[in-house]
Amino acid sequence: MTGRVIVITSGKGGVGKTTTSANIGTALAKAGQKVVLIDTDIGLRNLDLLLGLENRIVYTIIDVVEERCKLKQALVKDKKNPNLCLLAAAQTRDKSSINQEQLKSICDELKEENDFIIVDCPAGIEQGFQNAVAGATEAIVVTTPEMSAVRDADRIIGLLEAKEEIESYKLLLNRVRPKLVQSNDMMSVDDVVDILSCSLIGIIPEDVGVITSTNKGEPIVNDEKSLAGQAYQNVAKRIMGEEVDFLDIDEPKGFVAKIKKFFAGLFGKEQKA
Amino acid sequence: MKEIFTDLYRKLAGFFQAPPEKENLKEVACNRLKLVLMQDRTNLTPFLLERMRGEMIDVLSKYVEMDKEALELSFEQEGEQMALMLSIPVLRAKDEAELQALIKAEEEAKVKAEKEKTAGKTGTGKKSKKSSEEAAKGPKKKKSRKKKQ
Repeated sequence: MTGRVIVITSGKGGVGKTTTSANIGTALAKAGQKVVLIDTDIGLRNLDLLLGLENRIVYTIIDVVEERCKLKQALVKDKKNPNLCLLAAAQTRDKSSINQEQLKSICDELKEENDFIIVDCPAGIEQGFQNAVAGATEAIVVTTPEMSAVRDADRIIGLLEAKEEIESYKLLLNRVRPKLVQSNDMMSVDDVVDILSCSLIGIIPEDVGVITSTNKGEPIVNDEKSLAGQAYQNVAKRIMGEEVDFLDIDEPKGFVAKIKKFFAGLFGKEQKA
Repeated sequence: MKEIFTDLYRKLAGFFQAPPEKENLKEVACNRLKLVLMQDRTNLTPFLLERMRGEMIDVLSKYVEMDKEALELSFEQEGEQMALMLSIPVLRAKDEAELQALIKAEEEAKVKAEKEKTAGKTGTGKKSKKSSEEAAKGPKKKKSRKKKQ
């Protein structure tokens, strides 16, 4: 089989690349796909923490590259889902410890036995980014509705467009705060899509659950009730080619609207507030 | 005691007054972002844009009389394509005699420059004029987004 290699990137740091990688990976694995998550943020690894696997790492991607172990030995199995594996980054080295060809060959090898390879890219547009993108044919650009994040996303989109290997890229809008959008204090989803002229793969609402789930070392997709978790689940479905409507994350304005929404939900009707 | 009353008065007054008009921060963010992205994508700094504007005015004002102060230059994103929009308020069209005179003068200058060139002298004046002509090939110039890096 030939798996798909998707890089999760953003340019700016702190917009949720690692959270997105962990959640998309987990959601795909839950749907029965074989998934490997690669952390390419060498020196600043965090994907292991988000998955709660920090105590199980024996070998890292650098050990694979420097031939201290086989690729299969370095894959750490997820606690809950045997379909999901992590290839961790080394914490005591830096981005120059690995090059684009090495990452590409790792991706190519993993492709043969997995459905999806999700590459978590470090912030920035330097070597770390170039490495992460090397093996990928698809990209998800994560951004938030903030000016600095959108500007950096635009830069990343420009760089991705210049890469021949990248066949498609989609936008994931993270940490959307419907209340601020409604009061015209924050850019809306449409504004960002319009400015970047890039098609969307997901809208993730701001959710405190993301913080608590990181504390537990369990991605938020495992929490069925959480809105952010559902949104990530939908992203995974869209990646697999399913057509799913975007979640209605708008908060109903008044009391009456709230009741209406409650009843609409009860009778399974989709209603926009 | 006095403080309590002034505070109370302020609160009461505030209650009956209309709330101050709220700034639309979303619009502010969008507009600032559009401007900065335009600069990022084209590598045109405000200085270069002003220069481009000046050169365009030089060329276009040869053909039409226009309001030089009101000439507006902006970029617009239309899906995948980026367009350079130029809005020129025309004050007066030049009449035929003026245009003919212009063409004649240009031709003469060309011939003169050509002669100088063959005589071994290089005219610097011609060079700068050529670059300004290139800058104003059309009021609407489409630029593919793919070009940027």
